[in-house]
Amino acid sequence: MDFIKVDRVGKTFHKQGGQPLCVLDDISLRIQKGEFVTFFGPNGSGKTTLLNILAGIELSTMGMVRVEGKPPGHAKVGFVFQNYNESMMPWRTAIENVLFPLEILHVSSPQATRIAENLLKKVGLLEHKEKYFYELSGGQKQLVAICRAYAYNPDLLIMDEPFSSLDYSTTRKMEMYLLNIWKETKKTTLFVSHDVDEAIFLADKIIVLSRLPARVKEIISINLPRPRKLSMLSTQAFFRIRQKVLRMFENE
Amino acid sequence: MNRKRLLPFIVPISILLFWSIITHFHFVSKLFVPTPIEFVSALLLLVFSGEIIGHVLATLYRTLAGFLVACIIGIPIGLLMGYSNRIYSSLEFVVEFFRSIPATALFPLFLLVFGIGDESKIALSAWSAGLVLIVNAMYGVHLGKELRLKAAKTMHVSGLDTMTKIIFPEALPQIFTGMRVAISLSLIIVVVAEMFVGTTYGLGRQIMDAQLVYRVGEMYSYIFAAGIVGFILNKGFMQIEHRIVHWKGK
Repeated sequence: MDFIKVDRVGKTFHKQGGQPLCVLDDISLRIQKGEFVTFFGPNGSGKTTLLNILAGIELSTMGMVRVEGKPPGHAKVGFVFQNYNESMMPWRTAIENVLFPLEILHVSSPQATRIAENLLKKVGLLEHKEKYFYELSGGQKQLVAICRAYAYNPDLLIMDEPFSSLDYSTTRKMEMYLLNIWKETKKTTLFVSHDVDEAIFLADKIIVLSRLPARVKEIISINLPRPRKLSMLSTQAFFRIRQKVLRMFENE
Repeated sequence: MNRKRLLPFIVPISILLFWSIITHFHFVSKLFVPTPIEFVSALLLLVFSGEIIGHVLATLYRTLAGFLVACIIGIPIGLLMGYSNRIYSSLEFVVEFFRSIPATALFPLFLLVFGIGDESKIALSAWSAGLVLIVNAMYGVHLGKELRLKAAKTMHVSGLDTMTKIIFPEALPQIFTGMRVAISLSLIIVVVAEMFVGTTYGLGRQIMDAQLVYRVGEMYSYIFAAGIVGFILNKGFMQIEHRIVHWKGK
């Protein structure tokens, strides 16, 4: 059975007094359990709307969505947002932020601490765990956000351009940390990016979306070997995929 | 560096000089303004006789009691108004209207309802401080980030947890701003209320009594004491605020 099934989904916003705005048009997807899927497309192409629908916090206006055979909202979703400053809790320390979903799930305190510390260790932040959130660097903040999402033990991990406000070298480091955690847990991950290198480097499968209203332009399987290494960014195989993706936007 | 340190003293010293000159050369009647010496000796007498302490404590007690009641009632109402559009719509007009009434205009009414003792003074200061707290707690929630609520929603956080773990801390910086305004307001209301009836203790009462018998040195001393109380409350609160909402502006 497909883990996520999206059938002919559409979304149209009806603004008061304005033209109806169609952001998603006839989207159909199949995503398997444990897959790392990236969504690549121009900015403002309805990617966030699609993710919100999959997470169950927005409704589609057409079509059908199933996550593990159920309507979205039933599955546990870990969400990582682009804006970590506005999605995390500055009044808490790094580890307290990671503990938050565990409090919500009523995990006993010693066990929760063990889980949180274990996650922070994997991203190299254990020594900074007692720092307040605002005392961390941008990259560190987003790593805490990723740990928080994992601490929730989600069925589905959704990441909405999580690294796009970070600089080049930080972003590459973050990708390695992310793949490292993903490799161990094999959480189904949906990752939105407008950075073509990132979208290819991380993915099992890259879903290329068009400009508004967003349609699926193409779905490309990435068969670069795992574990991925940064040196792959300059291989022929990588380059071929990159060209294929970029060419799709040339004649628009 | 040294010059900069002197800056806060320049204006007070100038005022003191000006004060000395106008009283020394009798530019104003001694009935309105005592000389600095008369003022200081009156003040020292009140302090060392211990007479002023009871009055300061009485005023402080009423101010803090009113403020505390205001916090307990006002902050939850403000949070709920910020959180729920329904509650906001039902209460917004009433709160805005009550806020427009000068609190002191209600004092006769409060005397009728709560009697002439401490209760009416505390109730009136709680009333006006509470309204300030309602509005600030509500703004605090409104100023909070949508995204944090969305993040909570994706994790199916319960309404109570959302309130206590996200909305309340989110609104806390603005609540503290409101608390500082509220405690100053509470002091103002208490001092004014003391001037009327129902007590022999309190700074407001003493200012009024001293004025009635033209003991200007004493009157200025009690005014000064009220100023000190307000100053310390405000500064003390800023210290607490700095510690508790350490993330503010970061």
